[in-house]
Amino acid sequence: MSNEVAALKGRLLKSIGRSIYVYRVDCGGCNGCEIEIFAAITPIFDVERFGIKVVPSPRHADILLYTGAVTRAMRMPAIRSYEAAPDPKIVVSYGACGCTGGIFHDLYCVWGGTDKIVPVDVYIPGCPPTPQATIYGFAMALGLLEQKLKETTHVEGEDESVPLIHPGVPYGLRVALERRARRMAGYLQGRACAEAFMGALEAPEPAQVDMRITQLIAKEEDPRRAEIFTQLKLVFTGMLA
Amino acid sequence: MLKFLKEVLRVGEATQKYPFAPAEICEGFRGRPEHDPIRCIACAACTSACPANALSMKTDADAGTRTWAINYGQCVFCGRCEESCPTGAISLTKDFELAVARKDDLIKRAVFKLAYCRSCGAPFAAAKEVEYVGRILASYATSPEEAERIRANAEVCPECKRKLDVEQIARSNPVQQMETAR
Repeated sequence: MSNEVAALKGRLLKSIGRSIYVYRVDCGGCNGCEIEIFAAITPIFDVERFGIKVVPSPRHADILLYTGAVTRAMRMPAIRSYEAAPDPKIVVSYGACGCTGGIFHDLYCVWGGTDKIVPVDVYIPGCPPTPQATIYGFAMALGLLEQKLKETTHVEGEDESVPLIHPGVPYGLRVALERRARRMAGYLQGRACAEAFMGALEAPEPAQVDMRITQLIAKEEDPRRAEIFTQLKLVFTGMLA
Repeated sequence: MLKFLKEVLRVGEATQKYPFAPAEICEGFRGRPEHDPIRCIACAACTSACPANALSMKTDADAGTRTWAINYGQCVFCGRCEESCPTGAISLTKDFELAVARKDDLIKRAVFKLAYCRSCGAPFAAAKEVEYVGRILASYATSPEEAERIRANAEVCPECKRKLDVEQIARSNPVQQMETAR
């Protein structure tokens, strides 16, 4: 960005006050982002308290909001709306597709990211970004809030070693429990169930394991989870036998 | 008019206070995936599970490093990485404030060292992964000597392992064994 453009943008931000006109350019998105943009202008999130208004023409706009992965067919209209907007303007790239192309990044007809065709000032990632993330992104574009994310690189130190997740539970038993739980409840919930069960196994005083498991099943309010715990108990007693 | 005012007073204020107050985030919200490089064994399970290729793993054999990277700009917050991680190194947080002005700020990297094969000296996997696997396999051993042998065996690349197996079989002379068995 040249100094002249930066100075113009600084002047725009200084004088824009509470009259921020946004024009939305859909460059081949799935419309998930549009739904979240319109959710942001509902009374629950109400971006109009900051003066943000969605306008129907790029000639009225201060901010251009690009959504979608930039398809081959939409690149010319996207450039035309960029040129139609009066200078100085702020360009916001919205959603995972707008930032990098997202899940469509390697499609044959996708350019992959708004920054491939127009200069972008602020990127708002998310698939789609929630209305709160939208508000945060706009506040950042207007210089009201600070950026939180920073580029980091971690380099492996000397003698770095990964701790075992449940050192008290034998590995074979852990694998059997996790497999059974995942088969019954899927990866995420299954892991949560297996973790709770192994927590009961691993607690001090190994003599009371049976009692702790019975308590875990009795205390569980969700009958589905209680059933999974019962099945895990069968796996556990089966391995002991 | 009075009816409308009554309704307004009954409902109260619907607008959320964010950004002047912390946002109300519901249970199970899928936000920014947080990666703990200390717990990571660089096994690349998350990179092959990632549908948007936001996670990537690049190996530089000359420098002896393997670089794991996440691009938050490409992430679709599906949580497949969390599901597939064997050590619980990556998990989704409730953080949604990800907007950046510079695109490179969306990238987070972790550099891991490579392990070199005991037999041929070529790099074949991340050092942490080999150490982790060796530790788990050795926990099945019945004697300290066997544990040491298993751990040493884990530090051999797959190609060398195949060659060593063939050599071992040749040494045991299978033809003679078959004849004596007959």
